Amino acid sequence: MEQTQNHEVIVTDKVTKIFDPDGIPVNALNGIDLTITSGEFTAIVGPSGSGKTTFLNIISGLDTPTEGKVWLSGKIISEMNGNELSDFRRDNIGFIFQAYNLIPVLTVEENVEYIMLLAGVSKAERHERVKKMLKAVGLEGVEDRLPTQLSGGQQQRVAIARAMVSEPTIILADEPTANLDSKTGNDLLEMMRRLNDETGMTFIFSTHDPMVMDRARRLITLRDGQVDTDETK
Amino acid sequence: MILKIAFRNIFRQKRRTILTALAMIVGFTLSSVFIGWSDGTYSNIITTFTGNRIGHIQVHSKGYLDKPSLYKTIDNVSTVGEAIQSIPEVEAWSPRLFTSGIGSVNEKSTAVQIIGIDVARETKATQFDKKVIEGTTLAETASGQAVIGKGLAKILAATVGSELVIFSQAADGSIANDLYEVVGIMESGNAITDRVACYLHIEDAQQLFVLEGRVHEIVITVSKINKVAMVTENIRTRINDPLLEVSPWQVVAKSFYKAMKADQQGDAIGRVIIMLIVAIGVLNTVLMSVLERTREYGVLKALGTKPRQIFSLVVTEVIIIAIASICVGAILGILINYLLSINGIKLPQEFTYGGMKFGTMYTEVNMRSLIIPAVTVMLSAIIVSLFPAIKAARILPAKAMRTH
Repeated sequence: MEQTQNHEVIVTDKVTKIFDPDGIPVNALNGIDLTITSGEFTAIVGPSGSGKTTFLNIISGLDTPTEGKVWLSGKIISEMNGNELSDFRRDNIGFIFQAYNLIPVLTVEENVEYIMLLAGVSKAERHERVKKMLKAVGLEGVEDRLPTQLSGGQQQRVAIARAMVSEPTIILADEPTANLDSKTGNDLLEMMRRLNDETGMTFIFSTHDPMVMDRARRLITLRDGQVDTDETK
Repeated sequence: MILKIAFRNIFRQKRRTILTALAMIVGFTLSSVFIGWSDGTYSNIITTFTGNRIGHIQVHSKGYLDKPSLYKTIDNVSTVGEAIQSIPEVEAWSPRLFTSGIGSVNEKSTAVQIIGIDVARETKATQFDKKVIEGTTLAETASGQAVIGKGLAKILAATVGSELVIFSQAADGSIANDLYEVVGIMESGNAITDRVACYLHIEDAQQLFVLEGRVHEIVITVSKINKVAMVTENIRTRINDPLLEVSPWQVVAKSFYKAMKADQQGDAIGRVIIMLIVAIGVLNTVLMSVLERTREYGVLKALGTKPRQIFSLVVTEVIIIAIASICVGAILGILINYLLSINGIKLPQEFTYGGMKFGTMYTEVNMRSLIIPAVTVMLSAIIVSLFPAIKAARILPAKAMRTH
């Protein structure tokens, strides 16, 4: 297996994950080989238990594979330690979660600038980028509100702004529309497609939502921890 | 940002924060009052013990303290006295002469300790006149008078006006005997002393024992008890006499001092128990808080927060609560200690310590009663927060985010 080229953002080589919580091994992933290139708008779909979230966790370094390797932007993340992974995630991955997962004690502006603060970006630059990002996701005027003062759709917009503001290599979105009504979900997907077109940032979704599947340019179906189908539209 | 999150987190679960802070505040205040009470009690005992009997510092001829003898005298009293008097912290000094003999009143005789005192100086140094419970104190000039202890008066069946005959041996080997009029009966607070004590004017005693111009002891009191060590050293330097020994009260009353120190160690155990209770309370609430926020720590880690930053976040929250609790505890501690230092606590039953009776105990407001609880509360809070902080720092983000 050769290391990734510039256009290859994620490469997985025979990635296997076995969970063994009660002494009974469960194969969540069974040797997945995948390559995702920059600028993709890809959805990973499949029934519950097919391994979508596990796959997302492993390619983002939130979890480690039992076997196999993961390259992200040319680096083997499956062999990094805790601190290296923290830095790598901060600089290369933006997360959008089903439950938004905003930091409840921070305002909208502070939530969005949090990752840049960790990365040591200057105050002036942070302010400028947050302002620009909040405008891009249609959240001007709510900078000082706390997450609890926002609707579900607004919270997910903040999460999108937080994920994209530091300009990471990829955005990983785990069921981003699952907690939203269809109109809000549709609006957000439109917005993410637009941002994908404008910035060239790579989006990878794990989803059950047909709306997401419709808009995805590539659809990877997992079944029993293996790639069942992989189609590009 | 970690500080900002920590600070805001404190106000998220107000009830829990209040509970954690309460544990710390109660611990601090209890500890502070405990120390104030302990220091106040010992200070009270020391002040009474030294002021009443032994003074703060004593000067003797070399070896007298270990093995008293009629012949181990201070021969240059006025020179030594002048040197002592020149030290500004010295409040009073008083020479004493000690020996033993037989005291008789009518048909009754018993062993007595004869103490020759300079009445004016002794009154200033140890308030001798206030110990006289019957009759009067000694005249300021030598006039054949005696003041005897309450217990001795009982043994000899003596009253004010009785004639007391003293027999002993003088320093020149001759028989020392003379007749004195009992002008007063005194109570020092120490029953053992009062059974043998017989006070004479120092010149009467010097004449009786052929020790003119000589004394066995010089008692010194200082303005503040915490200056004893400094003044002792100062006296040593100024007297500069290798034949004389200058001893602080801790050396003069070695066994009393040791007993008091042992008691104070017992207090330390009490403080440790209080702080253990606090630590368990804090650990419980902090651990609960970490468990409840597992998902949040998982998110923070997923976003790129380092394990050590999560660790700092948990510890910082506890430190902020501890600082606030210490401030509140300090105010309460000072207030309670101050009130009790004025009004005191009347004990249901008097107790005796070092032969002295105590009925009301007073606390003390001092730096120790603030610094020790502050350090203990802060340290125990930090120590107990380490385990939850490590637990939070080691959270696996993927697993944590599955937590609801």
